[in-house]
Amino acid sequence: MHELLQFSLCLLAFNCFALAKFNHYREVFKTRPNEKQSKQFLLAAWISILLSLVLSVVQHNGYGALLFCGYIAVSLLVLMIFYSFKASWVKIMSVLNITVIMLSGLFLSVF
Amino acid sequence: MKENFFRSMTWMHTWVGLLVCWLLYLIFYAGTLSFFRDEITLWNQPALHNVQTTDTRIAQQKSQIIAGVKYLQNVAADSQRWGIYLPTQREPQLNYAYEKPRPEGKRFGGWQEHNIDPSTGQTIAQTRETKGGNFFYRLHFDLHYIDVLTARWIVCLASLFMLVALISGIVIHKRIFKDMFSFRANKGSRSWLDGHNVSSVLALPFHLMITYTGLITLIFMLFPYPAMTAYEDGVRGLFNDVLPTNVRSKSSPESAPLANIEGILDHVYTNWPDADLTQISIRDPNKASATITVRASTGTMLRDQTPTLLFNGVDGSLIAKSATELTNTEVFYDSMTALHTGRLANPLLRWLYFLCGIAGCVMIASGCIMWAKRIRERMKKQQTASFGLKLVEGLNLATLMGLPLATCAFFIANRLLPINVAERADKEILAFFLTWLAVALFALFKRATAQWIQLAWLNAVACIAVVLINALTTDGNIISYLLNGQWALFSVDFLCIIFAGLFVIQAKKIPTRAQPKAQRQSSRRAAKTNLQEQQ
Amino acid sequence: MHAQSVKTSQTFSIASKLSHAYQAHSYRIAVVSRFLAAIVGGYVFTAVFSSLLSIILPLKKSDAVLLSISLTIFIYSCVFIWVFAVKSLTKIWITILLTTTGLALILSLLKGWL
Repeated sequence: MHELLQFSLCLLAFNCFALAKFNHYREVFKTRPNEKQSKQFLLAAWISILLSLVLSVVQHNGYGALLFCGYIAVSLLVLMIFYSFKASWVKIMSVLNITVIMLSGLFLSVF
Repeated sequence: MKENFFRSMTWMHTWVGLLVCWLLYLIFYAGTLSFFRDEITLWNQPALHNVQTTDTRIAQQKSQIIAGVKYLQNVAADSQRWGIYLPTQREPQLNYAYEKPRPEGKRFGGWQEHNIDPSTGQTIAQTRETKGGNFFYRLHFDLHYIDVLTARWIVCLASLFMLVALISGIVIHKRIFKDMFSFRANKGSRSWLDGHNVSSVLALPFHLMITYTGLITLIFMLFPYPAMTAYEDGVRGLFNDVLPTNVRSKSSPESAPLANIEGILDHVYTNWPDADLTQISIRDPNKASATITVRASTGTMLRDQTPTLLFNGVDGSLIAKSATELTNTEVFYDSMTALHTGRLANPLLRWLYFLCGIAGCVMIASGCIMWAKRIRERMKKQQTASFGLKLVEGLNLATLMGLPLATCAFFIANRLLPINVAERADKEILAFFLTWLAVALFALFKRATAQWIQLAWLNAVACIAVVLINALTTDGNIISYLLNGQWALFSVDFLCIIFAGLFVIQAKKIPTRAQPKAQRQSSRRAAKTNLQEQQ
Repeated sequence: MHAQSVKTSQTFSIASKLSHAYQAHSYRIAVVSRFLAAIVGGYVFTAVFSSLLSIILPLKKSDAVLLSISLTIFIYSCVFIWVFAVKSLTKIWITILLTTTGLALILSLLKGWL
């Protein structure tokens, strides 16, 4: 459960990084992002990625940093596939991603 | 070199990369498989498939060691080395081994192993002689058929080139973060460039880390000079200083009774109250110079040096113990080796390593394909290909498609060779290299797109054949592995199926002719309408 | 007088042939020389530099050796890239030879080998 939360945070972060880019935003939402939206996406991305790093390092020490590198690799792979071949599914994927973060976060805070 | 820094780096990236890319592909490929070394060894040994780890694994260790010493004392009292390898999560069997008598002029006589099922205490008969995952592990840095030291120097040089290519690659990829998520399919060499970029960027920290730490694992061969400057007796002096348990006394021919193992174990358990022991090795048993080394698991620490206790084998006194508190530099150095070998406690992390390793293979493969594609695209219609281009294309086909096929041949040979055939392990390896040679000969004659497609199909068939032949020749198959939770075996079969799928996709997706996308789509549409008209 | 001029013209023609051959292959020779500078020159420089580092680092003996060993690959790859980044081949060889000799001198003075 910890690993799932760390990974989905990392995925969310890179998704936000992608959406902060003009091209990718347009592919997903069909409109242009304004300056403010891009900044918000970037901010969310940095918070999320730092959270993911901190959580994995706190839990696994040395191996945590390694795991984090692995999460980056998987997130980039997933996003690359979505953005290149199925840009229309990105919205669904993002919603799922946020749900998973919520649920696993809730689960961990309760138990 | 060139007019400016950027162009010099581009030039260097291309040529340094191209010079060693096939060797690097072999190194990365074998290294990636080595992350599952124990699993592959287990898969190659069907007699051990049904051995399960027990819940009382750690509690049983003491009695297993005592029984082991008794067994070895009975069968091999005058052997030069004994080893007791306790079951672990990844290697479920208990193994008592001793060294066979050394032939004249040899420094090592080879191990005689005796495997036991820890849950029943029964001897496991019918084990087959195989190198298993150790073959790929050795191939990764010793290559094969050539002198070990020469091979390691070659591997080191290739790794250095890899590191340099990686650094220059980062320098020349100006839009590294901008293009992070884009992959443009069906655009000729442009797609290969995108594939090259994506596979490098997504595992960039891993690539840098694995190359640097890989060189560090062979550093005492590559740069012994700092140790030679600081210590009188060079590298050995450094080792004796850093690793107190490394000291080795001279063998003596005088016989002396072996110390009572129970007393030694009591000592071990007072030092480490709930230790998870992994192996006991006894040098010169029943001699005056006997020593007993006890090793424990590193657990979840990022450490490569296992916690070790070294005992005198005659009076049972403690000679040395591994340092518990390391200095910062020692931690730095040791964790680098640990990072590379990835003897990781966590299966998730091992899978991530494997995935990053695959990304590395894709990066190298796409790099060398891209070079050939670019030269082809720049060529005029009537121009004939130069020798260099033909060579690169041939090596690409032989290496990239030959290695997976050779691996399948290795696995199939493991199942199909008769169990008692002489030098069985070497014959499995021969099957690997003969298959590779066959692909190379094939590539010598023809290396066009059609050959890539044929070999992709052949690879897909071979991967499926591994799974099928395994199901036919052993009493388990991929479904029973899934149902019984034999995850190590399931992973190997499952990966074969995944790779078969990937090869099918490859065979389908390679465009047969170099034609623009739109044209191909229209021709496909035309074919479809033709089909409908016929119906 | 006559014979002498034939001789000079002969040596002249050999020299011109050599320079011609050099011009024809100058690119290849330059590339090979650069790779040699990067691989061999870089190796020797790193060996001397890291040996020096291992005795001047203000750490415990084993720590100093381990640290300088861990840094060797970094130094080697930096030198390698530098060799390909600099334009003039002469400058590369001179720099590598001078610094290596200088470091080797300091090292042998410190160790008392001279």
